[in-house]
Amino acid sequence: MFVFDWGGLYHQPALGWLTAGVVTTLAVTVAAVPLASILAVVIAALRLERGLLRWSAIAVIELFRNTPLLVQLLFWYFAGFAALPRSWKRWIADSHPWAVLPPGVPLVTPEFLVAVWGLAVFTAVFLAEEIRTGLSAVPAGQIEAARAQGFSRIDVLRFVLLPQAFLNAWQPLVGQFLNLMKLSSLASSIGLGEITYQARTIESYNAHAVEAFAVGTVLYLIIGLAMGRLLIWLGPQRPGSRRRAAAEAHLVETGGDAL
Amino acid sequence: MVPVENAAPKIEFRGVAKRHGAVQAIRGVDLTIRSGEVVVICGPSGSGKSTLIRLINGLETISDGEILVDGALVSSLRGKALRSLRTRIGFVFQQFNLYAHLTAEENVSLALRRITGLTPAAARDRALGLLDRVGLADKPASFPHQLSGGQQQRVAIARALAMNPDILLFDEPTSALDPEMIGEVLGVMREVARSGITMIVVTHEMGFARQLADRIVFLDEGRVLEEASPEQFFSAPVHERTRRFLSQIRSPLHTTDG
Amino acid sequence: MLDFSVIGRNLDYLILGQTSDRFLGGLMLTLAMATTACVIALLVGCLLALVAWRFPGWPRDLLFLWADLIRGVPLILVIFWLYFLLPAITGRDLPSALTVVLALAWFSAAAVMYTTLAGLEALPFGQTEAARAAGFSDLQVLGLILLPQALRNLVPSYVGLLVSLIKDTSLAYIVNVPELTTVAGQINSREQVYPVEIFLFLTLIYFCLCEGLSLSAGAVARLLRRSR
Repeated sequence: MFVFDWGGLYHQPALGWLTAGVVTTLAVTVAAVPLASILAVVIAALRLERGLLRWSAIAVIELFRNTPLLVQLLFWYFAGFAALPRSWKRWIADSHPWAVLPPGVPLVTPEFLVAVWGLAVFTAVFLAEEIRTGLSAVPAGQIEAARAQGFSRIDVLRFVLLPQAFLNAWQPLVGQFLNLMKLSSLASSIGLGEITYQARTIESYNAHAVEAFAVGTVLYLIIGLAMGRLLIWLGPQRPGSRRRAAAEAHLVETGGDAL
Repeated sequence: MVPVENAAPKIEFRGVAKRHGAVQAIRGVDLTIRSGEVVVICGPSGSGKSTLIRLINGLETISDGEILVDGALVSSLRGKALRSLRTRIGFVFQQFNLYAHLTAEENVSLALRRITGLTPAAARDRALGLLDRVGLADKPASFPHQLSGGQQQRVAIARALAMNPDILLFDEPTSALDPEMIGEVLGVMREVARSGITMIVVTHEMGFARQLADRIVFLDEGRVLEEASPEQFFSAPVHERTRRFLSQIRSPLHTTDG
Repeated sequence: MLDFSVIGRNLDYLILGQTSDRFLGGLMLTLAMATTACVIALLVGCLLALVAWRFPGWPRDLLFLWADLIRGVPLILVIFWLYFLLPAITGRDLPSALTVVLALAWFSAAAVMYTTLAGLEALPFGQTEAARAAGFSDLQVLGLILLPQALRNLVPSYVGLLVSLIKDTSLAYIVNVPELTTVAGQINSREQVYPVEIFLFLTLIYFCLCEGLSLSAGAVARLLRRSR
């Protein structure tokens, strides 16, 4: 039925396009993840406040959760970008040789900046909800115990709530970061040259649709797997796991099992 | 147990009342607890026993009346003053409420490091000493989920003792424990009671009360119905309701005719 | 400052699509696609969940692997896969809207399977035990005891699925299916000078639709709980 011709892919220009695609996907992810995290902490903190701040946070959360990411990207690209001050737009339109990654991937372009911003804001809202869930999963008795010891509200947050919230929420948070990476594929619709865009370019260049999309699929799967493993390894470990026990072995004055 | 007849009043309740919405949890309680006293508060469920001690360190706020500690009014304290008071009062919860993400040693030393400001080494030393005192010298690196209920409660007692409080409050410390672990916790409480610290214990454990209490306070429907020394309380209770409560404690399968 | 007359002039196009075509477009097409995909995803996903529940060994592992593979690939790529594969397999040219619907259904069936399975397993195991002890066959246990309870609990999740699908239909923009987002994009490229108004309006429609559905799902869930 099919005759696969992979040669069309590991020769130039297809190979160059694919490489640029991978670099772009990774660059967008690496840029958006920290930005999303910072925004998420701000939103989560506002959510815990009272009055106008809390309702603003809730409004933002509901707005970004109930509209498609694609629509948000189109908005930022067509409406948001157009509303920027002229001097900013001119600066972005200039060529910036210092901000170009190896196979010719420019970072200071409207497409890249809009993609990073749009993805970060969208993901931040979901991250904030996961943080909130993680916080409320901490048994209320521990909060009482901390208050009874004389800790202030901020201290309770710092020493009791947040450490456990991150422990509880790390898996879902990693899930959201992986989502961000996969959703970067939507930026192809505003012209960002990431993996999906390049796969389509190859397809329209030599009509090798199946091969191009097969490679694209495998690339996303591999990046997803690697990213997931890395983030889990970097994140907080469950108390009582082997890594932490080793780090605290020096505390045990006398011998004896931890159990 | 220290002779307390002439000791200064440590905690005073004056006309204290507490409302939860439409429900009156505490009605007009007047009570004085002397320095170094061990007082056991008992009563049927819903009588307001837990609420009463939670009012002392502000975990609940009073609706009426005053509470004084060392002669100073504490019932209206807020913010920094309240936190300062709380560092002088140790509280042991029915559900232990240990910090799940910290080891036993860290549970005990956290406040020492973050409130008292001890160096990590000094805090750790004090924590290990306290864990030894409650019989858990071999478990400093264990997490709460790795410990039995009795062990967790003993860590909780060590944590309550960490800041050298002059008042210790116990809210039904053994009610959530399996029977075979009650003894180890009561043993620790016995040792603490003999150290001269002012202790208020809400409990159903009448054996403990008989052995160690200087006074037993019987609370019923938010009021102090009876208070007496253990000998008098167990042998000659004055009120009918007290008698009924005591007989139910002694023989739980016994039905109506008390 | 903002001139929303552009919306008024194009309202019928946004809601109904090109009225000269025989087919739906705009908001109506969005809703049609989302509900069709939802129905298919629910049927397929529930079926797979039942299989996974009944056969916890390698069939369940295989299904989970399939689901993880599906979810590990961006939805856009799934749409492209079907866009190129389906005509080749069936030998016919399929309408793009159908391709998108099938891609959405395929993608969401995995999520439905996970959610439904979780819903079944969240029921106290005592229910299954009591039914088996009474002599019911597994099919009867499922049909008479477990599913009626699980489905009640799962209604909010299923409505959440519909909300996600409504949002995901916007991806049809990529393959030029004239649903709401595509139509809005076409209006924007034609008019050029009203991007803010057009995309704000687009955002508003999706928001009202999705938020409205979510809120009513919450209300329905509360109603179901109270009627126990």
